[in-house]
Amino acid sequence: MTPLMKEDKGGKWSSDLVLDLYSNLLTEIWEVVSALIGEAILAFLFTLAIRKLVEKYPVLVSLKVSEDGISLDGVREDCRAVAPIEIHRSFQSLINQLSHLFSALADGVINKELFPKVFPKVKEAERIISQK
Amino acid sequence: MRLIFKNLNVLRSTINAISTSIEIKEIVESAGTNLPNLFDFSSFGVFWKEDLLFFLYQEESCPSSFTQEVVKNMVNVFSILGEESIGAEQITLQVEKRKLRPKQMMMDPGATLKSHLTLPLAVEGEIIGCISLNSDQPNAFDAQDLQFLSVIGYQMAATLKHFQRFSSIKNIALYDTLTGLYNRRYFEERFGVETQKSFYSGTPLSLVMVDIDHFKKVNDTFGHTGGDQVLCKTSSLLKNSIRKKDTVARYGGEEFILILPEAGLEESFIIAERIRRLVENTSFEIGQAQVNLTISMGISNFPSHRAKSKEELVRMADQALYDAKRGGRNKVCIFAGKSAR
Repeated sequence: MTPLMKEDKGGKWSSDLVLDLYSNLLTEIWEVVSALIGEAILAFLFTLAIRKLVEKYPVLVSLKVSEDGISLDGVREDCRAVAPIEIHRSFQSLINQLSHLFSALADGVINKELFPKVFPKVKEAERIISQK
Repeated sequence: MRLIFKNLNVLRSTINAISTSIEIKEIVESAGTNLPNLFDFSSFGVFWKEDLLFFLYQEESCPSSFTQEVVKNMVNVFSILGEESIGAEQITLQVEKRKLRPKQMMMDPGATLKSHLTLPLAVEGEIIGCISLNSDQPNAFDAQDLQFLSVIGYQMAATLKHFQRFSSIKNIALYDTLTGLYNRRYFEERFGVETQKSFYSGTPLSLVMVDIDHFKKVNDTFGHTGGDQVLCKTSSLLKNSIRKKDTVARYGGEEFILILPEAGLEESFIIAERIRRLVENTSFEIGQAQVNLTISMGISNFPSHRAKSKEELVRMADQALYDAKRGGRNKVCIFAGKSAR
């Protein structure tokens, strides 16, 4: 993993920017999907998705999931020396994995609600990364 | 707005019916009866992991190929949820067919599964099963259906978890934790029922008391772990030697008791003798050692011994067991010392 030493205009590290973006995105996913299937099932699905990916994307190990929601505080601490592209790939895979689970459970019902919200933000993350 | 109120009322009564159910079949039936007022579906299923049971409540015109697809889909979702994979052939399927649709909307014999909603039944981070709604129509369900199904799923999961807890409490109350045999409490209850039946109808009933010979020596030589191994092995021999209608229980310590309904003196003696010989010819493995052990048994019988109460029958079997011990052990004695080996 390549450490990133570059600051953006606001004085934040790009890694922080990507994390902010995914933090908002995951919070949004949580809000939309928990209203559909409830917190307990959603927490289970998040935990399952993270468990499946954590070996390949160790960044995800510090994500905290409970029935109260998802917290990236631990990730922020542990990601100081992680390249934004790595963070982006980890979270993109997490979202893909979740989307796969949602689709297995409810065909397109959940993804149909999520897609308009998720897609633009993933694109935004890609833009930030490509600016680097 | 009126439709939402109507749906919420149906949802409320569905949840109420689920929470007051006393067995899984009843849960599925009560949900199945209410669900057609909420969703348009071809089949509704509840899978309970513990017993590998899949209950399906479905439209009567559902072809069996559709049912198979539903089962396969549920198995697939279950494995995606990270649970150990289960083969469709391992699942016990219980299908309840009901008229869910008007005649003109009957399912095509070649209908296939076109859409589904499947949710895990999750309690305290554990998956205890799945619930699913299935349809032969594409895009049959929307976000509101998913919301309603999830509410129903949460109530089901809570009720099923309650059943699980209740069943483990029941197990503690009925079974001996070491040997897995019925405990003395269950024996008393069962024996009460059997004696009442026999005293009323005059059908024979035998009681056999069993005691492992020189069990103290086993404990002294091999310690209590060795003693426990002997108790477990003896229990398993007893359990495998009785008839379906018989009951075997741990009476206490190294004592066991058999209730043999409809068994006269001769038949119960044959059964007891067979068990005695089996134990005598079994090599008990205690750690690295192989040990041979014997048992003594005492039999009492209604009506032969003219017992007036269940307590008297127990006393008679106990007396016969005492005779077998006094007579040199490794014996079967019938009350009053009438017979041995």
